[in-house]
Amino acid sequence: MHALRLLSRGLPHLRAHEPGKVQPRGRAALARAVAEGKLEFTPAVRDEAFLCLDCKACSTACPSGVRVGTIMEFCRSQAQVFHPPSLPAGMLRDFILKRMLPSPALMETSMLPARLYQRLGLQWAARRLGINRFLPGVLAKMEGILPTLAPPLRQEIPEMIPALGKKRGRVAFFLGCAMSLVFPEVSRQTARILSQQGFDIVTPKDVKCCGAPHLAEGDRETARRLARINMDLFLSLGVDFIVTDCAGCGCALKEYEELMEGQDDHERVLRFRAKIRDISEFLAEVGIRTEELLPVPLSVTYHEPCHLVHGQGLSGPPRQVIRAIPGVELREMKESSWCCGMAGSFALKELETSLRILERKLANVRATGADLLVTANPGCHLQLAWGVRELGMKQPVLHVVELLGRSLPA
Amino acid sequence: MLSRTVIDHLRQKVGAGNVYHEREDLLVYGYDATPEIVGLPEVAVFPENREGLEAALEVSRQEGLAVTPRGAATGLSGGSTPTVGGMVLGLTRMNRILEIDEENLTATAEAGVITVDLFNAAAARGLFYPPDPGSQNVSTLGGNVAENAGGLRGLKYGVTRNYVMALSGLLYDGTEFIAGNKCVKDVAGYSLRDLLIGSEGTLGIITEVTVRLINPPQDKRTLLAYFRDIRTAGEAVSRIIAARIIPATLEIMDKTTINCVEDYAGIGLPREMGALLLIEVDGHPAVVAEEAEGVRKILEEVRADVIRQAANTEEAAQLTAARRTALSAVARVSPTTILEDATVPRSRLAETFTEIERLKEKYGIRVATFGHAGDGNLHPTAVTDERNREEIEKVHAFFSDLYEKVLSMGGTVSGEHGIGIAKKGYLLRQFGEGGIGVMRRIKKSFDPDGRLNPGKIFFDEGVSAGLKIPGVTNG
Repeated sequence: MHALRLLSRGLPHLRAHEPGKVQPRGRAALARAVAEGKLEFTPAVRDEAFLCLDCKACSTACPSGVRVGTIMEFCRSQAQVFHPPSLPAGMLRDFILKRMLPSPALMETSMLPARLYQRLGLQWAARRLGINRFLPGVLAKMEGILPTLAPPLRQEIPEMIPALGKKRGRVAFFLGCAMSLVFPEVSRQTARILSQQGFDIVTPKDVKCCGAPHLAEGDRETARRLARINMDLFLSLGVDFIVTDCAGCGCALKEYEELMEGQDDHERVLRFRAKIRDISEFLAEVGIRTEELLPVPLSVTYHEPCHLVHGQGLSGPPRQVIRAIPGVELREMKESSWCCGMAGSFALKELETSLRILERKLANVRATGADLLVTANPGCHLQLAWGVRELGMKQPVLHVVELLGRSLPA
Repeated sequence: MLSRTVIDHLRQKVGAGNVYHEREDLLVYGYDATPEIVGLPEVAVFPENREGLEAALEVSRQEGLAVTPRGAATGLSGGSTPTVGGMVLGLTRMNRILEIDEENLTATAEAGVITVDLFNAAAARGLFYPPDPGSQNVSTLGGNVAENAGGLRGLKYGVTRNYVMALSGLLYDGTEFIAGNKCVKDVAGYSLRDLLIGSEGTLGIITEVTVRLINPPQDKRTLLAYFRDIRTAGEAVSRIIAARIIPATLEIMDKTTINCVEDYAGIGLPREMGALLLIEVDGHPAVVAEEAEGVRKILEEVRADVIRQAANTEEAAQLTAARRTALSAVARVSPTTILEDATVPRSRLAETFTEIERLKEKYGIRVATFGHAGDGNLHPTAVTDERNREEIEKVHAFFSDLYEKVLSMGGTVSGEHGIGIAKKGYLLRQFGEGGIGVMRRIKKSFDPDGRLNPGKIFFDEGVSAGLKIPGVTNG
């Protein structure tokens, strides 16, 4: 057990005086006890597996290389076996994981009510009247966190976008669900940047959900099904790189190797894995062409998504991209790599804890006095933007590519 | 099993959120950082203040529970592992720094304060709390005191004992004690304070600690030396000490350790070398320059293969960090890591290394050796798997033989990790029945019923008499 003894430091919502089972060492101990038959897989064990943010900060901190986040994900999949949800809850879960998420068309349809709600001015009215105050916590958060929606990008973006200027190569763009549905403007910028930087872009319409929600919820079976489809699709495009602008997708795609162990042709999975790049990782690798960039004279501070800094070990590249933009002043916030509290659906399931974590993050943001708050993941983006609005802070929230997009010539 | 009434009573007195009795919760308080030694308490209580602690103790007395005090549980000898069920009494929620007295140059803190937090609080006032055990980012002051923790700076600055001025706390029977004060000199009565330091939670429960602070060093220089043969490194250490140079830090890492650390940190350590020495001299700039030169000369004399000076504070910090994570980096290699704490007089270092190499070959096991060479305090660490019983037997035999040699050289079986459960058998070898007998009498005078952290340090006739310890023969 001492491999994990040094871990309570530097993890987002843990202090050393927190109960033992909340700490990574404790959670791993519980999992081990269950595996060795010393403990039943009780509801408490299940709860701990889901209370874990899965921010993977422990993996970054652990010199002994123990990946507690992965252990927790596995526990979650076992939780379904030991404690199957009630019939309605189970049906909803199955619907979302097995029917809705794997079907882009179904997801796009399901967004229509929310879009109508906004387009018809209902959201504006509801917010003016302060109706959120009367809603149960979860609904209030869900309502509040949704930004103004635009038509999903997946249908609109051309399957093939040509490079501008001197061509440097050809890449595939993995358009994630959240990006397409909730932040289409951001992904539009990603495509715009890739093109401006000299790359042909292929964006297949048949892309499926990367499987990140399934991994987080413990449905490894559906995750594998989606992985196979995505690997078939993207390996057939004949590109050297598969680029994504969602840290959550990037992390899940890079986890396919482990997910598919013993289930698929290992060499094929490795080939797929070798091509995956986060957009900042990609730009840092190929080098950013800066000759045409226009100055953006603003100060920014950068929140590091867990699935980028811990999940993919990428801390330098996003900063490299920010620094490449002329005129931008990067102000580092304290605890930049601490979780924002979104953690997938954690923010909706554990409102109190999520809020505590968010408040600490935003206090650090405020302390920088920066003009803009920049991040690289839709989940973080939603959570931070909601928090900034609720607390009346001045900083708009942008994705790194939106910042770079401002610098591109029209 | 404790009754519902007792649990409710505890919840009421100590705070509902501070009492744990469900199996999932108890399980995670059944271990510290020592492999193979695991227990299970009946209840775990984390008082936030003195009143809560007193109430918890009262309940223990009423129910006849053994009490095991617990800090961050990063200990390496089983000191905070509950051996006979009972109550785990956690001090981590009593974690306030109460005062930094800049006139008397002292700091007073509750036992649950994390070591590095105390260091930082003192540094913010331009003062220095030197003891820096490897676990300092996580371990608590109370735990440091109970084990008399050392650290990388121990060679020059001493250990926790050298900084404790006063301790307050409770005995198992509820008697309050205050041992020591802010006086620089005090010879009134027996020094109960000194008896409590290093008593591993078996004599009293420490709730508050007053430490002395000193001036931070003005300058520092970090040197690195690589050796093809680890015995030459041992030679270098002995000569540095003989030359009357006392570096702040004089650490060693053998080849196995170097490779584990390099796998984790990737900072460019030389994988083919037999050993490296990390040497830090600090103090007044003129002294630092002189000492650094003196060290360098000795390294050249023994013909170290490479001698380097850290170019800047960043590189120096990187190297020190690499040394601090040595244990954890070694722990990556294999599921079970058993490290020991053999300490010898410095003149016998080279001999000890020879013996370690010889025994490694004899038993055919993997051992990474690193540690505070300047103190003669080595941590030979077996890299193994507790599920491989055959190999574990060999590991235990290895350490048994090693300690035989260490004791014959006038060494000790524990330089800084304490005896806890893991080294009870070795303690008997070091002190004999007579010595242990005196210790038992002292224990009895503090804790007549033997309920405070039973089963630790020496075999007793009480509740834990029949306790079996892996790899150690009883009595």
